[in-house]
Amino acid sequence: MSTLRNKLKPGWLLVLPFLALVVLFYLGPILNILMLSVTDPAPGLANYAKLGESDALARIMWTTVRICIVTTFFSVLLGYSIAYGMVHSSTQKQSLMLTLLLVSFWISILVRTFSWLMLLGNRGLINNTLLGLGIVSQPIEFMRNELGVLIGMIHYMIPYAVLPLLVNMQSLDMRVMNASRNLGASGTQTFWRIYLPLTRPGIVASSLLIFILSLGFYVTPAILGGGKVLMIAEYISVQLLVTLKWGTAAMLAALMLFGVLALLWLMSKFMKLSTVFGGSTQ
Amino acid sequence: MQDKNFLRETLQDGAKAFQDGKLDRRSFLALCAATGFASATVLAGKAEAAAKEIVMWNWGGQSEECHGNAIGKPFEAATGLPMRFDTSGPLQGKIKEMVDSGNVTADVCDADLFDAIALGPTGHLEAIDYDVVSKDKTLPNYALDHGISIILYGYAFVYDTKAYPTAPNSWKDFFDTAKFPGKRSLYKWANGSLEAALMADGVAKDALYPLDIPRALAKIKAMKSDSLYWGSGSEAHSMVVNGEVSMGMVWQNRGKNIEADTDGRYKLVMNEALAMPGAYIVPKGNPAGREAIMKFIATAQDPAAQLQLLDCLGMTPSNPAAFANIPAEQQAYAITSAQNIDKVAFNDPVWWGNNSGDAVNAFLEAIS
Repeated sequence: MSTLRNKLKPGWLLVLPFLALVVLFYLGPILNILMLSVTDPAPGLANYAKLGESDALARIMWTTVRICIVTTFFSVLLGYSIAYGMVHSSTQKQSLMLTLLLVSFWISILVRTFSWLMLLGNRGLINNTLLGLGIVSQPIEFMRNELGVLIGMIHYMIPYAVLPLLVNMQSLDMRVMNASRNLGASGTQTFWRIYLPLTRPGIVASSLLIFILSLGFYVTPAILGGGKVLMIAEYISVQLLVTLKWGTAAMLAALMLFGVLALLWLMSKFMKLSTVFGGSTQ
Repeated sequence: MQDKNFLRETLQDGAKAFQDGKLDRRSFLALCAATGFASATVLAGKAEAAAKEIVMWNWGGQSEECHGNAIGKPFEAATGLPMRFDTSGPLQGKIKEMVDSGNVTADVCDADLFDAIALGPTGHLEAIDYDVVSKDKTLPNYALDHGISIILYGYAFVYDTKAYPTAPNSWKDFFDTAKFPGKRSLYKWANGSLEAALMADGVAKDALYPLDIPRALAKIKAMKSDSLYWGSGSEAHSMVVNGEVSMGMVWQNRGKNIEADTDGRYKLVMNEALAMPGAYIVPKGNPAGREAIMKFIATAQDPAAQLQLLDCLGMTPSNPAAFANIPAEQQAYAITSAQNIDKVAFNDPVWWGNNSGDAVNAFLEAIS
């Protein structure tokens, strides 16, 4: 152990300047935000007290959390199916699927959001077809409401769900599944009792990733929600840019930060987080 | 946008260093090439041009071309200072942040007059120099200490002529979904929407301020299930032309485009439109200096420049000397045309500047 420690030392020295940079330019501004939340407009906890006074803030937070949970659930569900399909395809098909998946990262979120309007809007492709065939008499309202926001967000998040799951599934030892079948378990039993538990780190990793990314969503809810689905990120931006209530904005940002940290802490009670982030289980 | 700013700053620093003799000519030209700026503007003796210019901070789009032609060209001819643009949108928070950080890169913001009330007293804006700029070349209440209205824009509405055989003609009709069934769209950052709701509820157009926010919100909430809310002009435009709403609040110059795009199916109603004073405000410590920017603002007061902006952008002149020369084809759309000026309501920038934060939040909380 002592030799190991000796070997680490020069390494740490190399890392130290970068660590200092991170502390200075990353933690510095975050502390600044935290400070702002207790000093603007007046010193004290007035900004945090607003949480109790205003049911509007509570409603905005509840909308945000609700949308994030639903988005996470469906993205991971669909992502899991895609990753499962990919792992069990031929190498050639798998690389084709991976390419298609990565292509979606190149398309700007604005373009994707407006594409949904063209597809599912009142005079979009789907509604025009349904109206034309006489299946519906009024256009179905897919967009400009919470359903629209969810469709847009889930679609955006699926690739993020697939990648951690794919890595996790690729690293599984398939002999375990074979052994299970050999011992008489059915395919379904093997999936539920062996495969699914083994992919738990992947599920947790992609759920965390998606939940945290969803919390910061701004463009999609603003456009597809028709102005009626207000999430925290947009509210923060309005407080910063339009109403100049930087204290409120900082308070909400701090709240989101601590919310995410609390979530990680909670997860760590149930499982080793290092496995989620690709570390060893030992 | 960050990159663009960075490049411009690099080049400006380089040009200054070149002038001071700290940077040799070859390195300076290399810098021009590296930052991708057309060397024509920076080449040889014109290095000064890159360092001394007027940067207008606006929302981009067509307005770059229009402001450039209407104000930039005559100003450059008179002073030699070219006009450049930062199109990232001068929202109050961004102006405050820019001035607080001490790194001011814009000379003039194409903003709202109520921004002058919100940011002026806190020391974020230069005072307008009324020895250079004229108070008489705008509407009486629209020349403030820290900002002056150059053009007006307005909140009006368009309606679907196919949906309504009898034309709606007021905000009262707009909010009456029993008489005129169908969806509506409103501006989601409160201004215009609150005034429209109050006029619909029977408040006279010259007795709007101070706004009775609870009364306005009650009217807006009553129509919430039939309403969509837009955040940008293009969104307002697409909500209408895509048939998402049968009546939509729009910026009046958008209304003209919508009429053209739909071959007249949607029609603009200017009765009770709310005139908003668009204003020039100057961030404290602007790079070109106060003297140069005041001359620039004075140039923008010229009736010819304002009429050119009307032609190019549909923004209405605020200089009374230009009102009589509004061309016939703009009469129906311009706020200050003889046809419209008595029908519109005028925004009170002082009330908005002092109350916009609370009004916007109350509105957002009511619609979400």
